[in-house]
Amino acid sequence: MASTQTKGDSKATESKPEQQTVTDQKTTAALEEDDEFEDFPVDDWATEDTEAAANQASQHLWEESWDDDDTSDDFSQQLKEELKKVDATKKR
Amino acid sequence: MESLFSEFGAAYKERDGYKLSKTLSPDISNDQLKAIFKSCNANDVRRFLKTGLERSCNDWERLEAEEVKTWVEIYFNYWRVAGELLAIQGSSAANGKAYQSSWGKIYDMWAELLQALTRGYNEYGLEAWTIPCLYVVSNHLRIFAIKADEERSQNAALGNSTELESFDDFDDPESQEHQTLRDCCHRVNRVFNICLADRAPLEESRKWGIYYIANLIFKIYFKLDSASLIKNIIKAISAGRGDMPELSRFPKSQQVTFNYFQGVLYFLEEDYVAVCRSTFLAHVQLLADEETIQAETHLTEALNLCHKDAMRNKELILTYLIPCHLLTTHTLPSQKLLEPYPKLQKIFTPLSQCIKRGELHAFDLALQDGEEEFVKRRIYLTLERGRDIALRNLCRKVFLAGGFEEPKDGAPLVRRSRIPVAEFAAAISLGSQEKIDNDEVECLLANMIYKNLMKGYISRAAGIVVLSKTGAFPGTGV
Repeated sequence: MASTQTKGDSKATESKPEQQTVTDQKTTAALEEDDEFEDFPVDDWATEDTEAAANQASQHLWEESWDDDDTSDDFSQQLKEELKKVDATKKR
Repeated sequence: MESLFSEFGAAYKERDGYKLSKTLSPDISNDQLKAIFKSCNANDVRRFLKTGLERSCNDWERLEAEEVKTWVEIYFNYWRVAGELLAIQGSSAANGKAYQSSWGKIYDMWAELLQALTRGYNEYGLEAWTIPCLYVVSNHLRIFAIKADEERSQNAALGNSTELESFDDFDDPESQEHQTLRDCCHRVNRVFNICLADRAPLEESRKWGIYYIANLIFKIYFKLDSASLIKNIIKAISAGRGDMPELSRFPKSQQVTFNYFQGVLYFLEEDYVAVCRSTFLAHVQLLADEETIQAETHLTEALNLCHKDAMRNKELILTYLIPCHLLTTHTLPSQKLLEPYPKLQKIFTPLSQCIKRGELHAFDLALQDGEEEFVKRRIYLTLERGRDIALRNLCRKVFLAGGFEEPKDGAPLVRRSRIPVAEFAAAISLGSQEKIDNDEVECLLANMIYKNLMKGYISRAAGIVVLSKTGAFPGTGV
């Protein structure tokens, strides 16, 4: 009886998805099995509702892996200093 | 129960499989469960179902006796599960007395429901339009299996594991942990074969169920940590491709999910191949890149078709797509792309920044910092390969800092292309402040050249690197 109650109390809710989260939180907090691809709430959708359509207007989602504009950051400065030092030892 | 009958009738009239499948969902309110369970008692439930189902279709057709019998068996099991679900939620007290149920019991009953349903296809020959029923029942079998496994390990943890019924012969805890789910996996595989083996013409073929069921099996395999088994399913599908509808003709939810799992599978293969990379075999490297490109193609397709509001799924797709992009096109996600996903920002922003700036040491630290998370998401090894890009950017900075040669009159400016190895050495050890000897630097640079990230050669005698005057760093504008 005791176990029926602990289970019952926490999920007197109606829908399964909710129940599931309740159990999940309860039992697998440590496991964090949250990387499961979710079921879509609908089976199919219009092309307008796809990510591709939504993102058509917005470009620049990917950018180059280098950054020439950002030469003022600390690291770039340090690098310049360091290279000067190397240069100096060479000339001496 | 009356509403169930009328929905059944309506679905049959319209030949609407999705509508019909709703009548088999256990995912309904307690009141609805109660209404179903209390509408009849155990003694006459079959007779009750038989009359109800027949009556529901009477106005436009007479169901064959065998067909009715099939559905009666199916709904009989459904009725039993409704009772158990009420019991487990403590709100039923079946027959008025306290009664204890378990997810294990519910799983077993639901498995019988699935069996009754599959018998309907195999023996009676239920029509193909009803296959969404297979989706709903199979999917819930998976959900109940997971709950049953959780319940068992909880009980075991509490020390009151009285039941030692084991499906498997071996008793190690690893295999026990997912015992029910593994049983579920066999059963769903059988459903897959029911769909795959159908020889009926395409319009009325159960082949239309293949991708939904395949996706379900993928989910189970991932949970069981047997992702590589996915290949068998993919093979089975492509073997029958000739008489199979194109993936693009299936609902988008199925296309996206199928592409996602295929992409992740290729991604993991790459990981595996990349591990062999340490053998320094060139063709292994190429193989790895091949897999990454495959992964990228499928993941991109998945992302493009994904519903724009399915944030969690988009996040999962991007988790793998971002490392792919880093390797194949050497591009990074923009702030704009990451903006809606705080989790992804946390994972990728520090690394991206280090790569962009060429901060090698900071990159190592960031990789170390996120190691646990990266390993958990299975992206560690791929991200590690991003170090090459960080190094490339660092070398590129050294090159740019070198400025230009003395201008010869009239001729266009030419960048200094002869760079002392010592300068690269200084740059590489800058962050860590650890001395690095020239041999090692040369080795790193040779690797850059080998991977076509940098063009030129090393003159060991002179201790300089001679870089190409035209495109020393291919694809980066210099």
